[in-house]
Amino acid sequence: MERNELLQKLAGIQTIESVMDILKVDKIIAIYYLHRLRKWGYVKTMKQSNNRRVYNISLDNKLGGKSYYEIINQHSPIKISTPVIYRIYGKEPSLEETLIYAIKTKSLRTILASLALFKKISNWVELYNLAKENHIERQVGALYDLARQIMKVRRMTDKFRSCALPKEEYKFEYVIPKLKSRDFMEIEKVWKIYLPFNKKDLEEYK
Amino acid sequence: MITIDQQQRLLLNVTRRLTKKITVYAIGGTAMMFLGFKDATLDIDLVFENEKDRTVFKEAVKSLGYLEMDAIKVYGVKRNAPDMFKLNDERFDLFVVEVIDFIFSDSMRKRAEQIHQFEENLILKIANPHDIILMKCATDRIKDKDDARRIINSTKIDWDIIVEEAEHQIELGKERAVFDLTCFLEDLRKMMSVNIPSEIMEKFFKLVERQIKEKKKKSREN
Repeated sequence: MERNELLQKLAGIQTIESVMDILKVDKIIAIYYLHRLRKWGYVKTMKQSNNRRVYNISLDNKLGGKSYYEIINQHSPIKISTPVIYRIYGKEPSLEETLIYAIKTKSLRTILASLALFKKISNWVELYNLAKENHIERQVGALYDLARQIMKVRRMTDKFRSCALPKEEYKFEYVIPKLKSRDFMEIEKVWKIYLPFNKKDLEEYK
Repeated sequence: MITIDQQQRLLLNVTRRLTKKITVYAIGGTAMMFLGFKDATLDIDLVFENEKDRTVFKEAVKSLGYLEMDAIKVYGVKRNAPDMFKLNDERFDLFVVEVIDFIFSDSMRKRAEQIHQFEENLILKIANPHDIILMKCATDRIKDKDDARRIINSTKIDWDIIVEEAEHQIELGKERAVFDLTCFLEDLRKMMSVNIPSEIMEKFFKLVERQIKEKKKKSREN
């Protein structure tokens, strides 16, 4: 079987049984295929609490570097799969950069998972500068206030808040187009930003 | 030959010498390595969005000791041949928007979803496998047909994307692209037994026929 075909068929989280099932082969041949994929650099092995092996098979594993999604998964109780490959080499992306990237994806699940980053954000100057560069200061502020309602977060500096708060003439904007909140209208009013979450969406944080 | 790890180290070295942030598209063997189609490549084919970005990149590459070489040796006398730089076995082929008889179009840019960022200054976007096939047809060097065959055989190809892009190339004024692509795919089918649906080939033949008719009509009018 060709390498790419094998990778396409087995990409994702697998056990030896699922590999046997997908490829319709016996255990020895399944182990052989896993061995080949590992040799090519596509396999990361983890052990479950019952000592069973789980194989993470992905092209990402071969590429090296670091992805924003890995950082979010490292810090958030809500885990997300990688919808697109975006890898960074030669530097460790900061949490502030990661948060801005997550908001820019406009993906509900990615933004939800990234709320946990507010627990660790410490460089508010960097966050403000990045947010300003991307014209999403108010989105960051509104999501911070939202995160504060469901978890313990680091305190946002007064300077960030005063610089990011909207002026009277500002119009309402969305975090994710067309999504408004029923439960967090107060925060929406303060920041003139429509939030994409309701209380129920945030239950995973409890 | 250069492997994916060596290539990443090389691109990091280039990035450290860049004087501004640039976005570049990988189209050839480099793209194939990032997509897992091959382990090593001889040349690093890159498409820049403008001449200024290419100049900045060229300066960085030169400062690493790469020497400019004549594109005629590899591409013959073709239009829109790249600027080429070589050091030992590794070679950079640097294009700006146009790749021989093709344009690296906006739709191709949109399809390039995989992104690799090297430090702050270099954003490398990886062309979609469909577009790599089109670019392989554009460059049509010795190994390009082999590479195209490898992509077609190891991933699911949506042939409609390729037909649509061929039509788009005509709209962009690259009339020759469809003819080249039809010949390239026909060669793959006949010489290398690559499975390309006959109805797709029919579509390409019709496109070429239509082009011939239009040309005849134009020449009669003149």
